Amino acid sequence: MQSNLVTDDKQKNKLEKAFEILKTMASKPSGLIGLTIVLFHVVLALISPYIAPYDYKAISPNTMLLAPSAEHWFGTDSLGRDVFTRTILGGRTALTVTFFGSLIALLWGGLLGIFCGLVGGKIDDVVMRVVDAFLSIPWILAMLLIVSLLGTSTEVLIPALGFFYGKGIVRVARAATHDVIAKDFIVSARARGHSNMSIIWNEIIPNVRDAILVEGAMRWSWMLLGFSSLSFLGFGVSPPTPDWGLMISNARGLMSFAYWSVIAPIVGLSSLIIGINLTADAFAKALGIDRSTKAPV
Amino acid sequence: MKYILKVFSATFMSLILSFSIANASSGVFKVSHDLGFGKDTNLDAITKGRLFQVVIKTQNRLVRPDMNGVPSPSLSTDWSANSDATEWTFNLRKGIYFHDGSAFDAPDVKYSLMRAKDPDIGSPVRKSLNVVEDIEVVDQHTVKMKLSTSFADFPLLLTDYRLRMIPEGSGDTIGQTGVGTGPFMVDKFDPEGTTILKANPDYWEGAPGVAEVHVIAIPDAQARIQALLTGQIDMNRYVPFNQKKIFDSNSKFTTTVIPTGNWRGVVMRTDTAPFDNPKVRKAFRLAVDRQELVDLVMGGAATVSCDTPVMPSDQYRLQMDCPQNISKAKNLLREAGFPNGIELTVYPATLEPTWPTIAEVVQQQVAKAGIKVNIEMVPSKGYWNEVWMKKPVSMTRWNQRPADTILHEAYHSGAKWNESYFKNADFDKNLADARSELDFNKRKKAYQNAQMTLWEQSGTMIPYHVSRLVVTSSKVKNLDAVDHFSIQWHKVKVD
Repeated sequence: MQSNLVTDDKQKNKLEKAFEILKTMASKPSGLIGLTIVLFHVVLALISPYIAPYDYKAISPNTMLLAPSAEHWFGTDSLGRDVFTRTILGGRTALTVTFFGSLIALLWGGLLGIFCGLVGGKIDDVVMRVVDAFLSIPWILAMLLIVSLLGTSTEVLIPALGFFYGKGIVRVARAATHDVIAKDFIVSARARGHSNMSIIWNEIIPNVRDAILVEGAMRWSWMLLGFSSLSFLGFGVSPPTPDWGLMISNARGLMSFAYWSVIAPIVGLSSLIIGINLTADAFAKALGIDRSTKAPV
Repeated sequence: MKYILKVFSATFMSLILSFSIANASSGVFKVSHDLGFGKDTNLDAITKGRLFQVVIKTQNRLVRPDMNGVPSPSLSTDWSANSDATEWTFNLRKGIYFHDGSAFDAPDVKYSLMRAKDPDIGSPVRKSLNVVEDIEVVDQHTVKMKLSTSFADFPLLLTDYRLRMIPEGSGDTIGQTGVGTGPFMVDKFDPEGTTILKANPDYWEGAPGVAEVHVIAIPDAQARIQALLTGQIDMNRYVPFNQKKIFDSNSKFTTTVIPTGNWRGVVMRTDTAPFDNPKVRKAFRLAVDRQELVDLVMGGAATVSCDTPVMPSDQYRLQMDCPQNISKAKNLLREAGFPNGIELTVYPATLEPTWPTIAEVVQQQVAKAGIKVNIEMVPSKGYWNEVWMKKPVSMTRWNQRPADTILHEAYHSGAKWNESYFKNADFDKNLADARSELDFNKRKKAYQNAQMTLWEQSGTMIPYHVSRLVVTSSKVKNLDAVDHFSIQWHKVKVD
């Protein structure tokens, strides 16, 4: 009974802390705007299959390139498909792929960075040189190679994006760990004979978590842009799945006379990226992290 | 009097000078190519990687199609056949010189055509030329071609855009030099950058209207359109019809719509399961709504084709209707052992701007018959080497050719570019019969039988023959409104 009470208190404290952070983020206009935009996109992504007015695949020569109207709020594209339907569903794909990609990036990048920062020595040297080598390869070329060999399914895109966007997190996590390991509580833990895993889990992660989370949030917005770039080049999700990058690519040649087919996905993509950036900045400020002095990546 | 003479002389000299300037080649005509053959791109017209945007300007044929596609004189002034059309005599134009200074004569003709038949070179045009058994040099300006069978349409075969005349013995270097008798000479060959052609002042039809032609490698279709809009190139012959509005309202450009025999298609390899079953192939082809493809992809500017590669204006084309038939397609799949349908992947690239759209529309159309199509985009560069004729299903595009040539080249069991690996003895026999038949109606019947075999058995879905939207800068003048291979390039001017 005593133990349950302690756990409940801990959870209550965590919830209170999360609420406090959210409150602090929302107290600044930029944070409030960022949070609102991200929340709007997340909610839209969740409900879009239920509110989409048309079948996103339905092609018809009779409805090609119709201007915005009461029937088609955002007009239609060159194959006669409803742009509103495809825009609200397009965010769903982008958010899903990049959210899980960011999680993978956070997980492997954060853990590897912390491990290298803690053990140091030759292992750290070797791992960081390998990471440096990967950082020197333009990610888009490497991604094109991967999708050329393995295809463009989400099962390929999510881990591949997660891998390439996790490289920078390794360096941030390592630098944050270096700041922590010289502190007395780590020295004490070592003196008490705690294993490296125990020190990472109980001492380091709680102290570097915030910095890594902020970095992860920033990586999410970059990944979103990267994923859309891949789709724009035709190497993201496969047609007919609606996707902003693919929609922009297909409609870019029609901009001068059918602007509606390209404006909606551009607004969707750019607003989400801005929203995530504003949220990440507000998140960092709420945690007291100065992003201008963070470790170079 | 002296004063009058001086004025007269000055006026006369000015007139001569201005006349000379007016007739001199001037200006630069800039065009593009898609680098579809990557590192294999070369200037040897008979090879797979030929950069035709260059060779059609530097080299001539013996016979060329006129504005209506009828064989007309080029380096051969006239020709005649014996009574059973097994021997054809061609008289050659006199006083013609190659860019390297050597004279064009009968041995060059023999060399150029026999080289295209050389199995070691493995030219895609070899299959069509198999009918030529020997070429006899009668004199320096006369050749006699001996055929293995009667062939009433033989001059039509020689209008093939690849059958260019090159100097005798130049085979080892022609891929880099592009030497010919044409209106332009290769100054710099840079397939991945800008290839520069200079006007041939001694061209036999008169000096070209422009001083230089630049052929620029731009693999992406949209990048080529942007290049046209920004003035980097002066002509784009591959503008999608849904982008016509961009140019229609712009006085800087001229748009021309040209009906052609060029076609696009989806190719199923007939040697690969499940497409080794003719019922599966026909099911896929029946599930396509061709008119909808014409409307959606071409904005209506194309002629529906029922999987025949023979152009709509060709006298041998088989006219038929082929509406979408989903229930029949489903039945065929069931009979073939696929009651739950099939799944396949196509690999479009943007080197042909309509391919991704064709794939997307076909994907929706055939889904109704239980055929699931996955679309995987692939890079434009090297498409013809790495995807076409390699993957089980690929996208294709062909330029127009006479009926006999295209049927041989794309479907004959021994053809190098038999992209669907189609093998059908009846089809081959019909082609052989057609060639040797002197009676027009019987010949026509044989060609049409061959096309009917394609409709029943073929692995290539050909939805339409395109009308070409050609957009040029308004600075470009005198460009013939015909297909690429019939244009007389020396007449083109750029203000």
